[in-house]
Amino acid sequence: MTVATRPGADADRAPGRLAALLASPGARLVGKRLLMAVPILLGVSVLTFWVLNLIPGNAAQQLLGPEATPEQVRTLEQQLGLDQPGYVRYLGWLGSAVTGDLGTSLVSGQPVTSQIGERLAVSGELVGLAFVVSLGLAIPVALLAAYKPGRMFDRVSMLVSITGLSVANYVLALLLVLLFAVELALFPAIGFVPLSESVAGNLHSMALPVAAIAFPLFCFYTRFLRGDLVDQLQGEDYVTTARAKGIGPGQVLLRHAFRNSSFGLITVVGLNLGTLIGGTVIVEQIFALPGIGQLMLQAINTRDFVVVQACVLVFAIVAVLANLLADLLYAVLDPRIRYGSR
Amino acid sequence: MAVVDAATATVASRPVGGRAGAWWLRNLEIAVPAGVVALVVLACFVGPLVLPVPPPVGGSVLESYLDAGSPGHLLGTDPNGNDIFSRILHGGQSSLTVAVAVNLLGLAVGGTLGALSGYLGGATDTVIMRVLDVLIAFPSLVLTLAVAQSLGASQTNTVLALAFFSIPAFARISRAATLRLRELPFMAAAQLCGTPGWRVLARHVAPNIAPQLITFGMLGMGIVIVIEGALSFLGLGIPPPAPSWGNMIAQGQQSLSATPMLVVWPCVALFVTVLAFNLLGETLRARWSGR
Amino acid sequence: MRRLRLRYSAALVAALIGVAACGGGGGGAPAPDAAAAGPPQRGGELTVLEDVAFAGGWPTGLDPATSTTGGANVSQMSAIYGGLFRLAADDDGSNARVEPNQAESYELLDDGRTVQLKIRPGIAFSDGTPMDAEAVAFNFTRAVNSTCTCNPRWPLAENGITVVDPQTIRLTFTRPFAAVINSFPVSNTNWIVSPTALQQQGEEQFKITPVGAGPFTVVSNQLSSELVLERNPTYFKEGLPYLDKLTFQSIGGDQPAYQALLAGQAQAYEGLSTTPLLEAAQQQGRMTVTVQPPTSPYVIQLNTKDGPFVDPRAREAIYAATDFEAIAQGLFRGLYPVSQTFTGPGGLFHQEKVEGYQGHDVERAKQLVAELGGLTVNLGTLRAYVAQQVMTALQTQWQEAGITVTTETYELSTLVQQFNSNQWQAMLQTAGAWDPASGVGVAFRFSSTSPFSGVADPALDQMLNDAAATVDQAERARLYTEAGKYISDNAYAPFGLAFAAANLATEGVHGPGLTTKIPPIVVNAGILWDEVWRAAPQ
Repeated sequence: MTVATRPGADADRAPGRLAALLASPGARLVGKRLLMAVPILLGVSVLTFWVLNLIPGNAAQQLLGPEATPEQVRTLEQQLGLDQPGYVRYLGWLGSAVTGDLGTSLVSGQPVTSQIGERLAVSGELVGLAFVVSLGLAIPVALLAAYKPGRMFDRVSMLVSITGLSVANYVLALLLVLLFAVELALFPAIGFVPLSESVAGNLHSMALPVAAIAFPLFCFYTRFLRGDLVDQLQGEDYVTTARAKGIGPGQVLLRHAFRNSSFGLITVVGLNLGTLIGGTVIVEQIFALPGIGQLMLQAINTRDFVVVQACVLVFAIVAVLANLLADLLYAVLDPRIRYGSR
Repeated sequence: MAVVDAATATVASRPVGGRAGAWWLRNLEIAVPAGVVALVVLACFVGPLVLPVPPPVGGSVLESYLDAGSPGHLLGTDPNGNDIFSRILHGGQSSLTVAVAVNLLGLAVGGTLGALSGYLGGATDTVIMRVLDVLIAFPSLVLTLAVAQSLGASQTNTVLALAFFSIPAFARISRAATLRLRELPFMAAAQLCGTPGWRVLARHVAPNIAPQLITFGMLGMGIVIVIEGALSFLGLGIPPPAPSWGNMIAQGQQSLSATPMLVVWPCVALFVTVLAFNLLGETLRARWSGR
Repeated sequence: MRRLRLRYSAALVAALIGVAACGGGGGGAPAPDAAAAGPPQRGGELTVLEDVAFAGGWPTGLDPATSTTGGANVSQMSAIYGGLFRLAADDDGSNARVEPNQAESYELLDDGRTVQLKIRPGIAFSDGTPMDAEAVAFNFTRAVNSTCTCNPRWPLAENGITVVDPQTIRLTFTRPFAAVINSFPVSNTNWIVSPTALQQQGEEQFKITPVGAGPFTVVSNQLSSELVLERNPTYFKEGLPYLDKLTFQSIGGDQPAYQALLAGQAQAYEGLSTTPLLEAAQQQGRMTVTVQPPTSPYVIQLNTKDGPFVDPRAREAIYAATDFEAIAQGLFRGLYPVSQTFTGPGGLFHQEKVEGYQGHDVERAKQLVAELGGLTVNLGTLRAYVAQQVMTALQTQWQEAGITVTTETYELSTLVQQFNSNQWQAMLQTAGAWDPASGVGVAFRFSSTSPFSGVADPALDQMLNDAAATVDQAERARLYTEAGKYISDNAYAPFGLAFAAANLATEGVHGPGLTTKIPPIVVNAGILWDEVWRAAPQ
């Protein structure tokens, strides 16, 4: 076994590697990227403020209804601070956001942090589990499929994936409920059991919604990874070299092709990890989950910009962290990238 | 690191053409999915002109909910009495147009930005990627509702809203692929030879990153068609009664238990199309990457 | 290889169809008869689903003085607060009447310029403080002064709210307002909060954990998501409520709700409006499907103040081009009757026919359009599945008559803007209420002072105001008949089928308004939650 001859092979010694990362270029990369996150978050919040201002109507009008006199609207606008120019409101919001105060909902009067906290946990768990499940299944399936492309397993996995890609997740959600909740009564159709109440109950209640989100992801990742793996195996010369050195096809697949293909996969996963939270609104509605998508949808419709802004900020942080993680993984997997991006 | 060097050294002189294989078989692998894609496109864009199908809208409401195989209605009718087969054909026009437009925009704009960013590195990379990061981190829900409520639902607005998300995605993938190439010796060799940057990008980078982008785009076809339908929940997407596969699915699922076929037919159309596109994409990329 | 793939895809499709179809199938036993249910039983828990787009949304909380969605959240509000008055009916939906609930009686004085309410003695809020005239006056004053779309907008005289004695409160109006009692159940003023609890908690917290004197008290409340209530042991009605626990849960529409009921995770759903699912639920056999007596017909509002419909011939063309009978048959399977005026069969003062009503007549429509030299109309509606289907059918019918039609769907917020800016031309809406003078009644759609009206006609205003003011029921009926004919004669707005949402309940669940018929107050029937009960599992 010629461990030392593989690209980036020292990744195997994970603990030592981690220490090294913390000590030098890796830590600098993290620091740099975290600094970079600041302008990104600023950019997202400015963009959000601007986009929200483009939508006609404001919270005062929504609260007062159509029969309100312009006088009443003006008064309430003053109370809510909506009469001030956009940049003043933005700076005000920014000022308190920096101190961790995300403000009070214009519509419900509740502190935003308390409103989004629990819901974020629900959506976060939903999306997190969906990623774990979809990746956990997609990687072995893609490897098996790529091991012998064109064979039965490859073909079946392709058909399943293509089915998954042509069925909307909300239709899938309904079908899952009809099959597993109505007909087989294996899982509940609705209802959320908090993790703090019961871990088993929580997982039981999350099974179908997670499946509804994870299945299309699984299909996408499987197709994406399988395609890339086959490419690596058939096109790349280091694979030929490895084969020439007498390394078995399984080893070649796992140690060489998969390592290289994981770059693309990481990129794709990083991409939708950030955007998927909040994009689960329809699935949340079908399973009656108290998630954040629903809150944000309602906040936009009631023009509750304080809540929208806070949700967006939270999503943006998740997205930035996801991308940072993706970049770090690149660096771990291929040291050349790390040095290159310095 | 010997193997790495040995491996990467040969990348530059990678043979084109690949293994010897049955010539006709390789052609069949392209011909069949390409044929299906062509058939779908033809059916959707030319079919309604030559086939004896009623218009996709404007059916009599008294002929609602007819079963498949009813006289004059191959696949039956929807709640408004419109012919489902006709709606599948016409709906394919909007769905395919939107999907192709979104993916082409993503591929062209995002692919270029990503390649530039990865190839040039430095400040260009930072600026492009940070701007794209902002777009990636910006939640789709906000943009969708903002477009829907300030500009209204239309095909163009739908394409623009979806492209807003496909561009950063393509860019990221393109950049990642380019980064992997950049440090390879053949790139350095090209630069050392004094090849101008644009030429390196066009001659060396583009062909090498294209396979991944194409796989992503082909997978994206189905996703875009499905998402377009989901947008109709939020007031964007192709506005009904005009059909698209996505909005037919989105509307049909409202009474899935009672009228499952309203969902099944557009799903079948979508399945066949996505399958054909993926097979085609796979074969194309296999050729491209020099199998 | 190719053939293999085809077989696989066929199997997947079959699986898809099979799974979807078996959800609708099931037993053939007839729905259990509500009357044969036996005596009500105490105890048990109930989970009720509400559509997140309507009754399942309460973004502003559940304080009646600040809740902008009280009209949608009638169920939640009356479970917490009970109500001064309530709308009750016989089991078949007939003989509907507003009866005092927490109020003991009322008196209309001075031709309807004054109303005196007597509060039932001995009622306490669930925090133990008394619900007396003082408390009610506090609530009324707060409601009138609130900056909320839920403000009652009574024609109140100066200092018009007076406490006469510890159980009596008097409202004085500037003009006769006899409809005030019937409008109580549709307005937030029907729900009385505990002033002490409000002051202790503060306004913001009170929206989340309100305190009233209703059959249930709040355990937890996650806005627009889940509201958990438990039995109020100090409820003023002996032995009520029957249930120990009542949970309201938001869900994304009819299909998910139907599935959740089939799966047994919830026992009731309010507001089913998708006709095919309603039929599926009826055939399914293990559910009670209660279609409420319809009170609010669809109406095509025409903007007579601006645009093409200033010309009466254009309006007549719309009347003649519209065939609601076909829509009732095709889209709604003949489940609902078509109305010619602003009332439905379940409402007060309903008349089946309006003399001289211009029905469907394509030829006449074509002729009118030709006379006008063409007609181009923009038709809009709220973005809801059923409304969009009706709009599509109308578009087709109008196009057959030679009218050029574009359509538009709106969110509630963007719809309001259309009305405010007066740019709209035709809107598919619903009109009317159980009592035409209350709620989204006739004035809401036809009076010149309403922002949601397309008509500005002093003669019609006069009729509607008189009808709302009059105490004498026969005289009111006459005035509404006259108004209906006037609207028809002037071709102000064609009416459509009178639609009412249905309620689903699983086996063993019973209750007035849930498994018996009560005309809808606003959109959903006002379920009397204190009398809802659940048979213990056998």
